[in-house]
Amino acid sequence: MRWNKPTIAAAVGALMVVAACGSGGSDSGSDTEEFQEGGGKGQVIDMTRSDGPAPPVEGAAEGGTIDVYSDAGLNTMMPSEVYYTNAGAISSGLVNRSLTQFVYNKDSGDITLIPDLATSWEPNEDNTEWTFTIREGIKYENGDPVEMEDFATGAMLSMDRHTFPEGATYSNNFFLHGGCDPNDKELYEGYYQSGPEYDGVEINGNEITYKMACPFPDMPYWGSFGAMGPIPEDAIDTQAELKEYVNHPLATGPYMFDNYVPEKELTLVKNPEWDPNSDPGRHQYVDQWNMDFDTDTAKIDNIILEDSQPAALTFDDLLASTYLRMKQDAPDRLVPGPEACTWFLAPDYRKVTEIEVRQALAYGFPYEAFLEAGGEVIGATAEYPTSNIMPPGIPGRVEYNVTPGLEPGKTDPAKAKELLAKAGYDPGEYEITWLYQRDDEEAVAQKDQVVKGLEEAGFSVRPVATTTEAYSTEREEVDSSLNLRFAGWCSDFPSGGSWMPPLFQTTNLDAEGLAANYSVFSEKSVDQRIAEINQITDATEQATAWNDLEKMMQQKYLPAIPVYYTGAIQGRGSAVQNMDVDPAFGMPTFKDMWVQQ
Amino acid sequence: MALPGIEAEGTLHPEELVDEPKPGAIHGRSPTQIALERLRHDKVAIISGVVVAILVLLGVLAPLITGALDICPDSDCTDTAEVIGTGGYPAIGPPLNAFTWDHPLGLEPQTGYDNLARLLYGLRTSLLVATISAVGATLIGVIIGLVSGFAHGWLDRGMSFTIDTFLAFPFILGALTLGPILTQRFAENPTALNWASVIAVITVLVVLGWMYLARIIRAEVLSLREREFIQAARVIGVPTRRILFKELLPNLIAPIVVSISLMLPNFVALEAALSYLGIGITGVPSLGQTINEAQLDYDFYPIYLWAPIITVMVLVVALNLLGDSVRDAFDPKTRR
Repeated sequence: MRWNKPTIAAAVGALMVVAACGSGGSDSGSDTEEFQEGGGKGQVIDMTRSDGPAPPVEGAAEGGTIDVYSDAGLNTMMPSEVYYTNAGAISSGLVNRSLTQFVYNKDSGDITLIPDLATSWEPNEDNTEWTFTIREGIKYENGDPVEMEDFATGAMLSMDRHTFPEGATYSNNFFLHGGCDPNDKELYEGYYQSGPEYDGVEINGNEITYKMACPFPDMPYWGSFGAMGPIPEDAIDTQAELKEYVNHPLATGPYMFDNYVPEKELTLVKNPEWDPNSDPGRHQYVDQWNMDFDTDTAKIDNIILEDSQPAALTFDDLLASTYLRMKQDAPDRLVPGPEACTWFLAPDYRKVTEIEVRQALAYGFPYEAFLEAGGEVIGATAEYPTSNIMPPGIPGRVEYNVTPGLEPGKTDPAKAKELLAKAGYDPGEYEITWLYQRDDEEAVAQKDQVVKGLEEAGFSVRPVATTTEAYSTEREEVDSSLNLRFAGWCSDFPSGGSWMPPLFQTTNLDAEGLAANYSVFSEKSVDQRIAEINQITDATEQATAWNDLEKMMQQKYLPAIPVYYTGAIQGRGSAVQNMDVDPAFGMPTFKDMWVQQ
Repeated sequence: MALPGIEAEGTLHPEELVDEPKPGAIHGRSPTQIALERLRHDKVAIISGVVVAILVLLGVLAPLITGALDICPDSDCTDTAEVIGTGGYPAIGPPLNAFTWDHPLGLEPQTGYDNLARLLYGLRTSLLVATISAVGATLIGVIIGLVSGFAHGWLDRGMSFTIDTFLAFPFILGALTLGPILTQRFAENPTALNWASVIAVITVLVVLGWMYLARIIRAEVLSLREREFIQAARVIGVPTRRILFKELLPNLIAPIVVSISLMLPNFVALEAALSYLGIGITGVPSLGQTINEAQLDYDFYPIYLWAPIITVMVLVVALNLLGDSVRDAFDPKTRR
């Protein structure tokens, strides 16, 4: 998933991470010892947990209001377009049910995929067809029954990139007529572009079959996204109706909209039509959620630090100063958690052609100074990387090191110079050009560190200035002067299938640009192997295969140089109970929370 | 003439009645000299003048002082990885550890730059930008004010209109748009970008400031041009340029000097505000920028925020007081 930093305020570490799948685990021993592994758990899919109600939370009491504060805005709550982690956690956790859902296992700190509106699912032999059995008797918040056709409508909306440019593209990437078959001339481009008729979805009684153009072994995970949930057709028939619907999507979950000001606030109240016996994953302890997405970081941190509002919480990262003080004074109200994301250097494979130069980058990059200048709390919000692109916890991940002699977080400028010399470059001869945000003082400080580090390592540097607003767009430009891009990526699913294909599969530069392949990496052998691994139906075998492919690719080509794995440090007031960080999104475990009154 | 024979006490001698000019003791003094004389006796002016002089000296000598104290304002001489510890806060000095004389104002979080060094360089930036802008605004204001005040008819009307237009224009908003435009234009060239941002800030300040002086000068000129000495000069046939610069301008020294001395503190504060808004100068330390970065640390690392705030405050107050005293000294109406 794409990683986007919010542009709303220059807060330290208020990362907007797009929906991640991963889960918490053991500490990985650093000076602050807070860093939690993300990613591995959640590989367990448990179809047997299809009956509600969800197991009760020990000691939980009903009632009360929880106030949620954030500084990062909220781009949309329309299930078809929800992709950012904050919207995703709130939408899927509280308001809009879908085919499947993730639940958090408190004892192990991991997540499991269980049924939601679908009670069971089954693929065909080669993962090109998935049939879901839908639960009966589900109603929307207005009492209308959820129809089978509503799921088809949802699927059709999910393919409409024109109407929902910020949504996830998995339907387009895998579904029939979505475009992964290069020979398909009749592309289906979504509900409003290609019409409400789509043969990729077939309904038989209470079974719905999704047809794929390419094998999609991870469909159950994609089923947890709101985009795969039901949407009544007559509510979104026309674009005009859609405009109203996005401000109040009909709820199937325990809570429904009461007040919604896009980007700024959201109030959720209990949905009387939600039947706890139909939902194996969610609870409805709290009466009301008041969410404010436009609160100043200093104010949020003050509220949490002082506990002036015991029923408040934030899912933004706390400031380092707040974190340090709470560690001393109120460590139980600190909520650290995993995020299953990796931040890496992506040298342009078309321009940086010698592997020695890429290796020199790996040896010479100033990891520690870069992270510190950027305001990361090393050991809490950031962890030094190994050579693995997939972060700790992804199933099948086995650590390897393609930069022998280099410890995580350390820099070896001498070795970097040596490698450059091997490639035939004198110190100062090879110029590295990258993009930085001039209007963000942390980005400028990081740029200064990169300049210093790379020059010491024998490169010459030419940082290119841009603004925070234009950064993502300029980074995506196919023909620019850049030969190094900085990129972040989070798992959509706890599987290598959410890392290798989007990041390293050859993209059609003319048709789709870089997409997420920031290194502009292209090797036929890797493409072929990706296609082969996608056919493997055994999950464990597939997981190992992804890791082996990644290791081979890094060793032979080194297209991406990991800089850090991320974590979250969130906080709560003393009345908020049972808050953990949900490894699926790096967000609070809304489904299981209650408030002490 | 004294009466013969009588010498009484307190007798008036005629020679005492007439004030004889002592040779070389009394000569005419120009208004400027009178004003400077008054300034010399004004305690507030002396103190604020000394403060300003010290701050200017600190700014000018910033490189020497930082070299002598072995402190570093940027990444060139700081080893960030070494000096930054837990949570991005410095491993030496406040806020986590005890005060140290090596870094009297502490180190900047996240980067490890020395706060005192950045203060000195920031002072330098502020003073430089404020001075150049004040000089620029004064030049433009004086010329336009002179021409506008002396001219008749459409030239005067046109210039008045220009002054009013500039007064009405929301230049801060214009300045806010300048930032991204400059970034795009000079994206590929960091040195040019830094210079462009300096020029942009100076331009914004000049454009924000010249109108006030222009109006004052214009008003003064309007009143002066009907005076006899001007009319006499015109009758004689003195060319307009000579009248403007040789006859009128010397009478305007007072408002000009006062205006400069009051513009300086305003520009220092404005530059800090522009930096705070993000349209300031990049590439060099700036007091406004430091204040912006430090605001979230107001309770955890207070000195990081207070040092630049107090510096700006002291500079602005000192310049203001000096300006007030200068204005009082030059104003004939306040002559005791």
